[in-house]
Amino acid sequence: MSDISGLGRRKLLAGAAGLGLAASLPILRARAADAPTINIAYFVETKPTAIAKAKGWFEQESGAKINWIEVGSGAQINAGVVGGSIDIGIGIGSSPSASGISQGIPYKVIGLLDNIGPAEELTVRASAHIKTPADFKGKKIATPFGSTSHFRLIGFLKTNNLSLSDVTVLDLPPDQIVAAWKRGDIDGAYVWSPAKAEILADGGEVYETYKELDEKGYVIADLIVARNAFATAHSDAVVGILKAYGKALTYWQTNPDDAAAIVGQATGVTAAVAAANMKEYDFVPQKEQLTAAWLGTPGHPGAFAEQLHHTAEFLVGQKSIRRALKLPAYQKGIDTSYLEKAVA
Amino acid sequence: MSFLRRRPWIVTLASIATVIAAWAIATYTGAVSDLLLPTPDELWDGAADLVLNGYKGYSLGAHIGLSLLRVGLGFGLGTIIGTLLGLGMGVSRKLDALAAPYIEFLRPLPQLAYLVLLIIWFGIGETPKIVLLFLAALPVSAVAARDGVRQVSPQRILAARSLGASPWQIFCHVVLPSALGEIFIGARLSIGIVYATLIAAEMIAGSSGIGWLILDAGRFLRSDYVIAGILIIAAMGIALDRGLLFAQRRIVHWAGK
Repeated sequence: MSDISGLGRRKLLAGAAGLGLAASLPILRARAADAPTINIAYFVETKPTAIAKAKGWFEQESGAKINWIEVGSGAQINAGVVGGSIDIGIGIGSSPSASGISQGIPYKVIGLLDNIGPAEELTVRASAHIKTPADFKGKKIATPFGSTSHFRLIGFLKTNNLSLSDVTVLDLPPDQIVAAWKRGDIDGAYVWSPAKAEILADGGEVYETYKELDEKGYVIADLIVARNAFATAHSDAVVGILKAYGKALTYWQTNPDDAAAIVGQATGVTAAVAAANMKEYDFVPQKEQLTAAWLGTPGHPGAFAEQLHHTAEFLVGQKSIRRALKLPAYQKGIDTSYLEKAVA
Repeated sequence: MSFLRRRPWIVTLASIATVIAAWAIATYTGAVSDLLLPTPDELWDGAADLVLNGYKGYSLGAHIGLSLLRVGLGFGLGTIIGTLLGLGMGVSRKLDALAAPYIEFLRPLPQLAYLVLLIIWFGIGETPKIVLLFLAALPVSAVAARDGVRQVSPQRILAARSLGASPWQIFCHVVLPSALGEIFIGARLSIGIVYATLIAAEMIAGSSGIGWLILDAGRFLRSDYVIAGILIIAAMGIALDRGLLFAQRRIVHWAGK
């Protein structure tokens, strides 16, 4: 139902604006004034979200004005939601989300952006001949602390019985990782593209960790979160945001060339680079997100809540957060009702 | 009220007690979420945990020690070289004309502006951190030493010269002692600036130092560690400033008399 009314309202508004009738129709005017402004935090990244942003689908589908806030880390989204200045965060990683839910940040996971898979991976200097975990001893590996990559790197060290005194782990943001790599200061990095692509183009090679880590429960994903107070007050707009992303996903699957060109333009890389980056991510279709393997459905939480729970327990061990909650708290931290409406 | 006027520390204590009481009421009643502000006992637990277990690979002492080492090296080198340069600039107009443009360029420059350049030039080890602090200390002490030399009264120099003092003797016995007051004022200014730059310096590929601790804890909204770190960094700052003040009173004991 809300789907139909949402569509009708958009058409009415568009028609009214086009004919210049808004001022003469009090009901419409009132509705236009109701249109919320959504403060959306986003990352500049090569993902289908850039298509929906460039084409104005987020505004169209939500019927709202959007104030775009570029962020550099999930921690900024967490802080912004606590302060009430961010309503929706697109692309926040599973580790900052797990830490946010554990700390009682008033937001819920409303959808999945992507399963990161091999898109974030350990890269090492080819000349260093790093072939086995033991070869990492005495090496310097950089990663942005607090990120999903950091979570995976620490997971890799843990599962291979390497300690932080065996391997020097350095905290660097992606651009500085590239600078340090080019200077030869680091032997490897756990990071995402474009930094990862630049390293690979400059004497780096992939040291595959993701398959083993995914099996051992170190799954990492990027998520969409919505601030509770905003989502309950403007549920239609939240559904619209998810619909816009669904539309962009379909566009990437059906028009990959056009999609790559748009994403490349939005992020300042060539279409070829954008396409290569996007092919590394597993953009789980929204209907599949609603299955037991991922988010589940309202009342039937999926397996992803366990990932968040595991991530939170790991973060406690890292002294990053004070305490982890029990599994049901992470199941409640995921609200699939908006996604269910968006795909209906 | 004369009771209070003679005992200002009572006012100080009352002020601190009021703030702590307001803090306790705001957090225990839940009026302020513990994400924004920890309760006093959470802060206590956080601070105790830092003291007992350290933070992410280093003990608290190591974090403090590494920060002090960086500050010490950056400030020490910056102040010594800056002061020598400034003394030279004060004595020689030529050297002043030569060095002044760089000093004046560097002095108002926010350190964060050239942070990435330092990483590209000096890598990610200790060098860029110390260079950053060095560059923060250098111009302040150079300007202070130069102005100190310039303020020496010409009569004193003339008097010494008429008594047959050599230029070197004049510099050592007249100019330097007169400029010491200004040099110390410059040093205290520069330790403040160096200290303020510490967090920026420890943003470079850090995993140690009290500045990095605060930044890293902030990423996870660990307000207990953040506030404990701020209290430690503040105490360290006060101690450094008092240390300099003590040295100044010992060395330039005649100043202000």
